[in-house]
Amino acid sequence: MVSIINSVDTGHEDMIHDAEVDYYGLRLATCSSDNSVKVYDIRNGASALLDDLKGHFGPVWQIAWSHPKFGNLLASCSYDRRVIIWKETNRKWAKYYEYTNHDSSVNSVQFAPAEFGLILACGSSDGSISVLTFTPETNSWDAKKIQNAHAIGCNSVSWAPATTPLFNGNENEQQPLVKRLVSGGCDNLVKIWKEAGDQWVEESKLEVHSDWVRDVAWAPSVGIHRHTIASCSQDRRVVIWTSNDCVTWNSTILHLFDDVVWNVSWSLNGNILAVSGGDNRISLWSQNAEGTWQCISDVAKGQGHINN
Amino acid sequence: MTRLINNDYCIALECKDLQANAMSVDCTGTYALLAGRRCIALRNLDEEYENVFKFPRTSKYDVGAAEWNPTAHNKQICAISTNERLEILNWREETLSVSHSIRAHTRAISGLNWHRFDPNIIATSSVDTFVNVWDIRDSRRPTLSLANVAESSQVRWNRISQHLIATAHDGDIKIWDQRKGSYPLQYIAAHLAKIYGLDWSPHIENQIASASQDHSVKFFDTSNPRKPDFVLSTGSPVWRARYTPFGNGMITVVVPQIRRGSENSFLLWNISNRAAPMHTFVGHRDVVLEFQWRPSRPDDSYLQLVTWSKDQTLLVWKIEPFLQKLCGYEPDDLSIYDDNSSIGGIDEAASTVSLKRIQPLQQEFSLLNVHIPNLEVKNMDSITRTVTATCKINTVITHVKVIFPNAYPLGVPPAFQVMPGSNINDSIGSQLLHTLNHLAIQRVSKNRTCLEPCLRQMVTTLEQLLVDIDSDRSFERVYVEPTVSAEGYNDAYIPFPRTSGVKFCSVNILVCFGRPLLTRRLGNKNDSGTPRALSALEGILAKRSTDQMTVSAYYFQRQKQRSRSKHSLSKASKAMVHIYDATNLFLINRQLAEDYILYGDVATICKHNAAAAAVAGRRDLVQAWILIEITLAQRLVDDDGDWAGHPCGDNLLISLINHYASQADLQMAAMLCCIYGKQQENSLRKASLKSILSPMPGVSPYHTIPPADVVADGWVLPLLKSTRSTSLDNLRAEEIVVATIPPKIPYVALYEYYKMAYAETLHRWTLLYNRAEVMKFMAIQPEPYKGAEFIPDCQICQTPIKHSVCTSCRRLPFHCIICNTAARGSVNCCVICGHGGHTDHLQMWFERKSMCALCGCNCLFETTYTVGS
Repeated sequence: MVSIINSVDTGHEDMIHDAEVDYYGLRLATCSSDNSVKVYDIRNGASALLDDLKGHFGPVWQIAWSHPKFGNLLASCSYDRRVIIWKETNRKWAKYYEYTNHDSSVNSVQFAPAEFGLILACGSSDGSISVLTFTPETNSWDAKKIQNAHAIGCNSVSWAPATTPLFNGNENEQQPLVKRLVSGGCDNLVKIWKEAGDQWVEESKLEVHSDWVRDVAWAPSVGIHRHTIASCSQDRRVVIWTSNDCVTWNSTILHLFDDVVWNVSWSLNGNILAVSGGDNRISLWSQNAEGTWQCISDVAKGQGHINN
Repeated sequence: MTRLINNDYCIALECKDLQANAMSVDCTGTYALLAGRRCIALRNLDEEYENVFKFPRTSKYDVGAAEWNPTAHNKQICAISTNERLEILNWREETLSVSHSIRAHTRAISGLNWHRFDPNIIATSSVDTFVNVWDIRDSRRPTLSLANVAESSQVRWNRISQHLIATAHDGDIKIWDQRKGSYPLQYIAAHLAKIYGLDWSPHIENQIASASQDHSVKFFDTSNPRKPDFVLSTGSPVWRARYTPFGNGMITVVVPQIRRGSENSFLLWNISNRAAPMHTFVGHRDVVLEFQWRPSRPDDSYLQLVTWSKDQTLLVWKIEPFLQKLCGYEPDDLSIYDDNSSIGGIDEAASTVSLKRIQPLQQEFSLLNVHIPNLEVKNMDSITRTVTATCKINTVITHVKVIFPNAYPLGVPPAFQVMPGSNINDSIGSQLLHTLNHLAIQRVSKNRTCLEPCLRQMVTTLEQLLVDIDSDRSFERVYVEPTVSAEGYNDAYIPFPRTSGVKFCSVNILVCFGRPLLTRRLGNKNDSGTPRALSALEGILAKRSTDQMTVSAYYFQRQKQRSRSKHSLSKASKAMVHIYDATNLFLINRQLAEDYILYGDVATICKHNAAAAAVAGRRDLVQAWILIEITLAQRLVDDDGDWAGHPCGDNLLISLINHYASQADLQMAAMLCCIYGKQQENSLRKASLKSILSPMPGVSPYHTIPPADVVADGWVLPLLKSTRSTSLDNLRAEEIVVATIPPKIPYVALYEYYKMAYAETLHRWTLLYNRAEVMKFMAIQPEPYKGAEFIPDCQICQTPIKHSVCTSCRRLPFHCIICNTAARGSVNCCVICGHGGHTDHLQMWFERKSMCALCGCNCLFETTYTVGS
């Protein structure tokens, strides 16, 4: 079902913590405990190192590509409490913006859907979430901070898709797009945030996990008639949250895994969920016709084949 | 007694010319015998001065082992081995005479051991594979000869039973009964590597400890030796491992040849707590060759350990009561040491026992290496238990006072204070204290001393803090470099790093990374899984005295040890990223996306697309396309039918779209939405034409344009606008359809969504033409162009012009550089030099030339470079 097209030896001197391919599927970025971020050209099965971005002073936890309409931007966040946005100009990568206003390790970065403009959300172990907005007119970044978003620390942030369907009954009103975020943290909670005016307010608080929430992912809602969020946790569970109005959420436990679950990721269509965790295994999940979640494959790490 | 260097040990003898490699202390604890190739020396340990008796030897062989007879009856007798001979020395009236010289073996003797109870019995082991037991009263032949296959490296009599004897052969241990020498009682396959040392437990008859090249000491119950009772991992090959006479202690030394750097690995362990050594004996400048407990003296309250090192010094160590306590020894009169908790008694008792109590601190002070750059240690007062240190970095001076509570270092950290006179600001001060406290707590929680690490940390932290202040003073904020070794105070709340992950990227890419299959997690087997916080690394790795606390150390620890001997683990395998093509998981197909068309009439589109689906092997789609073709073509023929309500009309199409959407085949759903849109357009055009002609406007049943925010199955797209960019505008559709009841067309907003999502997929595939085709069917206006625009200034009045005619001077401002006439209509120009002209003229020009006709600009190249990159 899944075939390997490329294996990139990143040459990082330490463990990799995140890897992401850009919008067009042409470039791969990786980040590692060796404090560096690397960018590779992966077109046509190649794996040529384009640049090695050094600017962090601690392990780099996560990276995120922006939508190409803002240029080739790459955001990275690190244990050194910084968020760096890198920009490529004439095939050279350079620091474009550095955000240093977190008091502890920054664990997660994600760019907002392009429809909202160039916006980056960052979740940090100091418990806060920062929303950095670029204003092209003034060529400046503006930071808004959600203080105390999660009591002990925020581990993950994810944006709601821009074309958020609304179900509140006021069909005829022309409503502006609403920015929403979901975040997971060390208080075992998943929280939904909504921008109201120039403030971010907590819209709902989802409580099912019994240990730290490690990752959250808001599904692109194409073809699915409601909001869907996946969250995974130290308690070894993955939970699928669904809602029609972003206020009341129903939870379904996808599966209890053998080890800590670190990572959840939705496909572009929002119909397949990829899960990975501390046991070094990957599994793919999709919903069958009856609406129950099924594991459709299991990629044993490093071997590159699928046991179905 | 002897020269006192420090409270920990005293030097009993420093003699470079001895070249001794065997040492033994007699059973009274008075004499230490040192034996080398050239001479044998005896040192009276009771005497203050280096009173040494030296007796030259004339042998070409070195002394392999030496041991005094352990019984009081023959306390003056010492045995040494030299090559294949066993020599029995007699120490009497300050002279040493050789009473026996036995050719005990045919090859070199590897070990010897006196019987614990019988003063005349000695056992020798040799590389000639035999272990012989001798009675020195009759030395012509051994009383017992134990035959083996492999060479014997050690022989030890049991300390409790007088019959049991253990021998080591390579990695195996044999247990014999001297009454039955034909075959061993037990054969223990103890280690995979060579065993260097054996020692019977002084308390438990059946327990034996073996020290081996494989970095471990194993403890066996000889009555049930199938697997070791427990294993002590020392991190380096163990030369000797011997029980302490008190508690559950064990002392290990590293194999002499293995020694690296300054670490001589002379360690004291508690065998009931094998995670980390209790104490490291620091004093020898080289590896310890031999060590022996000095039998306790009636006039000395401390136990003493005598050691002989390759640095040719004989040291006598006093074993502090707290060390004995660490090894689980509970003396009856412990109350005087155990005063940490008894608050009232401290002051009263202080005068009498204070000397004993401050020993650990004094020891730490004396061991402190005060040569730390940028740091000056001023007052070390073991009576008031304080230390003052001053750190000077450039012009910044920091005075720190460290106060040691009485219970320190047993779980109680010292207190740090920044003293007046320091010129650092409060935030740095608090940062510094935070770091120091954290480090101190870490150390003392393992009963380790912390002064020196803290002082060193203080210098590094200050340096770092000040560098940061200098470099970004404008930010006015303090930033601590989080070094890996001195992790920040809140690592307990930083999640444990991911070392594997998966992400769906772009359209159909699945990016995976993970640990190599070889890696195994550290920690106990009954561990409940991956830890949650970064601070877990410290907890697990500190126990193993790993140098670096990184995630990879956590996973690679075990491999590291193994790979040292064999192939080293390649760095590359740590950091592989695999990229999978997940196309087959989805129904969206790139080939179809390229082949599908949306221009032309509906029948042509359907035919072409059916063919494309057939090529791609999607027979289900072929059927769908054919079905649509049939129903829609029929509709064209039959103009007047009310297709909106017909079972094979709109409802069929709608249910098809729903079907594909529910199957997550966004591609087909979006394509059908476009066809649907096209169909609606056609019928609307027809209807409007009809209604223009008809005298009764406003009754058209074909009005299909929904109001802006159509609710369909609960879906609302707020971004929908009521404008449609089709030819409808020209037909003034608003006027035509008046006051009709719009037939219920569900899902329209949703359809916009499908099309938009499909368009994004095409965009990601960079199928821009196909995307534009789909976007034509969007009700939403595309975003106005926001990029750079070329606006020439009028050459006459210098105002920017957007049209072909200048608005102010009403002339044609743009001249073609080829024909030199005012240009209107299709023109092009270079973005760099601004020259241009009629498109066809420029095309002709640049077919032959690459340079601008007017200036030296390399128009084609420059333009490509700017736009293309």
